[in-house]
Amino acid sequence: MQKATVVVIGGGITGVGVLRDLCMRGVDAILIEQQDLAYGTSSRFHGLLHSGGRYAVKDEEAGRECIEENAILRKIGKHCVEETEGFFVRTLLDDESFEPKWLAACAKVGIPAIPITVAEARRLEPNLSAKIQSVYRVPDAAIDGFRMVWQNVASARTYGGRLMTYTTVIGIEQSNNQVVGIKVRNTLTGEISNISCDFIVSATGSWSGQIAALAGITVNVQPDRGTLIAFNHRITSRVINRLRPSADGDIFVPNGSITILGTTSSAVKNPEDNIPSTKEVVGLLNIGEAVFEDLKSYRMLRAYAGTRPLYSADPNAKGRGASRGFVTLDHADDGLTGFISVVGGKFTTYRLMAEKVTDLVCQYLNVKTACRSAFESLVDDPSPELMARARGCFPSYGADLAASRLGATGLEKVVERMQEQPEKRQLVCECENVTLAEVEEAAADQTSFMLSDVRRKTRMGMGTCQGAFCTFRSVGAVDANGLAWGQDTKTLFQEFLQGRYKGIRPILWGNVIREMELSRGIYEGTLNINGVINHATK
Amino acid sequence: MVAAAVAAKNGKRVTLLTLGAGTLTIGGGIIDVLGYGDEGVPLATPRAGLLEVGPEHPYKKIGPVAIEESLRFFKEICAAEGYPYLGSLDEMQWVPTAAGTFKPTCLIPKTMDTTQLNSATNVVVLGFEELKDFYPHLITKNFKNIPGFQDKNYEMVMIDPGLADGRDVTALDVARWLDTPEGLQDCIKQMSTRLKPDSVVIIPPVLGTRPDYVIADSLAQALSCTFVETAAVPPSITGFRLRTMLLSYVKKLGVRIVEQAAVARSIVENGKCTAVVTDGIDRERTYYAKAFILANGGFYGGGLVAEPGHAQEPIFKLPVAAPEDHELWANPNLFSNKPQPFAKIGVAVDETMRPLDENGKVVLTNVFVAGRNLQGYDFCFEKSGNGVALASGYQAAMSMDREIK
Repeated sequence: MQKATVVVIGGGITGVGVLRDLCMRGVDAILIEQQDLAYGTSSRFHGLLHSGGRYAVKDEEAGRECIEENAILRKIGKHCVEETEGFFVRTLLDDESFEPKWLAACAKVGIPAIPITVAEARRLEPNLSAKIQSVYRVPDAAIDGFRMVWQNVASARTYGGRLMTYTTVIGIEQSNNQVVGIKVRNTLTGEISNISCDFIVSATGSWSGQIAALAGITVNVQPDRGTLIAFNHRITSRVINRLRPSADGDIFVPNGSITILGTTSSAVKNPEDNIPSTKEVVGLLNIGEAVFEDLKSYRMLRAYAGTRPLYSADPNAKGRGASRGFVTLDHADDGLTGFISVVGGKFTTYRLMAEKVTDLVCQYLNVKTACRSAFESLVDDPSPELMARARGCFPSYGADLAASRLGATGLEKVVERMQEQPEKRQLVCECENVTLAEVEEAAADQTSFMLSDVRRKTRMGMGTCQGAFCTFRSVGAVDANGLAWGQDTKTLFQEFLQGRYKGIRPILWGNVIREMELSRGIYEGTLNINGVINHATK
Repeated sequence: MVAAAVAAKNGKRVTLLTLGAGTLTIGGGIIDVLGYGDEGVPLATPRAGLLEVGPEHPYKKIGPVAIEESLRFFKEICAAEGYPYLGSLDEMQWVPTAAGTFKPTCLIPKTMDTTQLNSATNVVVLGFEELKDFYPHLITKNFKNIPGFQDKNYEMVMIDPGLADGRDVTALDVARWLDTPEGLQDCIKQMSTRLKPDSVVIIPPVLGTRPDYVIADSLAQALSCTFVETAAVPPSITGFRLRTMLLSYVKKLGVRIVEQAAVARSIVENGKCTAVVTDGIDRERTYYAKAFILANGGFYGGGLVAEPGHAQEPIFKLPVAAPEDHELWANPNLFSNKPQPFAKIGVAVDETMRPLDENGKVVLTNVFVAGRNLQGYDFCFEKSGNGVALASGYQAAMSMDREIK
């Protein structure tokens, strides 16, 4: 039987943040995740590192937490953050009287909001509508959710952190009102096992209610579904917020080579309700036109949806009315010692949430080590020597991209592969500049069980072609290198392409349907990866 | 291009307005007529499938006689151009793909003939160093699971075309290498030390860019081996050859070809089209004609344009039926045993390939529609892409000959 002092449930940003913090303080911890890391909510958001401007009016505390954590994450996670800055823009449709209220709230919380002229804003962001009324600069930024999760894991691993993905909790073992272990099932093999532990931290976001229910405890988390659209290019180089109370479709975030528009808000029963609908997408486009008038002519890549974990002590609060702050629930108060849930919150404040939970756990364990998660970088920067070696191996500007994705340790391994076998320098994914060496490195990680796991680690297949070309290459590459996880290639193809299709299906028009016809032409028409093969008919 | 060839053959003065390289270089260069029935059940022969198609299917409108004539017409073109194709409606050709599957098709160049492969005991899968998009291991591994191919011995061989030089290598690069006498000699030299005589060799589609069998025959003679090209991802060299061949043929017939002609609109008077107008980089140009054939593709080619809950044909504004509820356009899963609804969206036509309105009435009496502009078939699912293109192009040009005097 496996043993750990603490089992952290949930491989989203909060869970990996808790794992990292615990391990940094010398606590033996293991993290379990029902799917892949960052599969749930932590990759299904804007990729916005909030300045806090969005919350300042309604929720002063959330606003203050945001601006403080914003500054911290820029330092510890600099490879995950693009310092774009942000605009708050008021359109003709937005209530003028909100503007002074918002300015006062920002001033009170300490969020710098600097007015600039509409002409200056349009010089900086030429796609902005000419009908905009006023513009303020705020310290928003873009943040890569996948990478942030992975680099937290990389950091936790250097402190002995362990993790198991595709592992779901089926029972919480207790004895005399004290947690003694956890029963889990591997969702790929069906194998059931126990991990004995003193503590369980549930950082399961929208799934918190389900996990607490395993111990007979009620946690009121209302999953609130938000749909977003990814556009093919950078419509804007800055985060653009509508200057109005929070509502649908009011934020654009440039992320790498794409732009994300979101979100919607609707209460759902099932936290896994993440299939976007055409109606939601069309609704977002209609709203977004007020900021970018040509929005409907821009090419979309995909739509996706996630569920915000809205916590309320009041089980009837819903949607944007519920608090975006977070709470740490010590279930000792419910009669079970050693079980803590951390619920609510948002990506920007994950580190602070992790710190508070870890403080509480350490108090029980009598661990006195101070929290250092705000001061230590997630990954080390590659040395100039390593970067020089990398530049000799990677095509064009790929070296810097890879260094940001991988950090020093990961880059070292990939560069070694490339120097030993120059043919591994080949690009598998041209859209995102992912080399064969990187695909192999990611595929060999103990948490990779299918191609989509490699995709989330490398960004392979997440660019303009949405897997039309790189799916074939990556299947060929993992197969040729004996990394196919025992799956047949038909399964590999279908799993990866279906994952891409899920986000394309609700937006099948314009250039998206063109791309779809190309993809189907290749995989179904030419390669016949799904058809029954029957030579007997010959 | 087939419609242009038929019309020119019938003595018409033909102008071909084209935009871009077209989709022939993306598809496999083979003529898929019909491989699967509606539930994804493999058909015994393409002819057997033609009897089962539904009332909306282009093949139902065209009819088996014209379909067979169109195939014969195509094979005559191939023979005249020195690049003959094999196959008929009475035999399903199962050709190997780069994914290690087989796909059912009808007419193929002889470099895709699998007769020797089917009976061979020893099979070589030959790749090229640095060539993207061809993985010998993927092919051998998957062939070992296909009935009839399980008990063969497979060997993987790699040839180095020396093309890498810091960039990605495609099948087109390798084909161009083999086009040169030096490349061909180098390749034969490398192969002669690796291939035993009388081997059957599966090779990516790289046997020259020209529509002839010079490279294939040279290799086969020099090495006493049989080479079988696979269907592969773009750029498709077999498709490239097909395009070159058809272009060469229609040029010989005197067809005038206008490239980069983006047709923006049509001029219609009394139910008849009198001209189409192109919107070029210099100015608008008007092309007058007695009759028009529309064959500019589906959503991919730009012959159909989609918006949420709505599709249209942009040049003649022909009626295109599509579900208003966009959620009904696509199946929940990308791959299933059903065709995709969006793939079947297109223009409805009568037996002469003339466009129909919602009431089944001909909209324009001198416009004929062919290829993926048509509704009622999912070419990816049933494997009928170039087959419908060929048969409907032939039918459109033949009916034009009968109807327009």
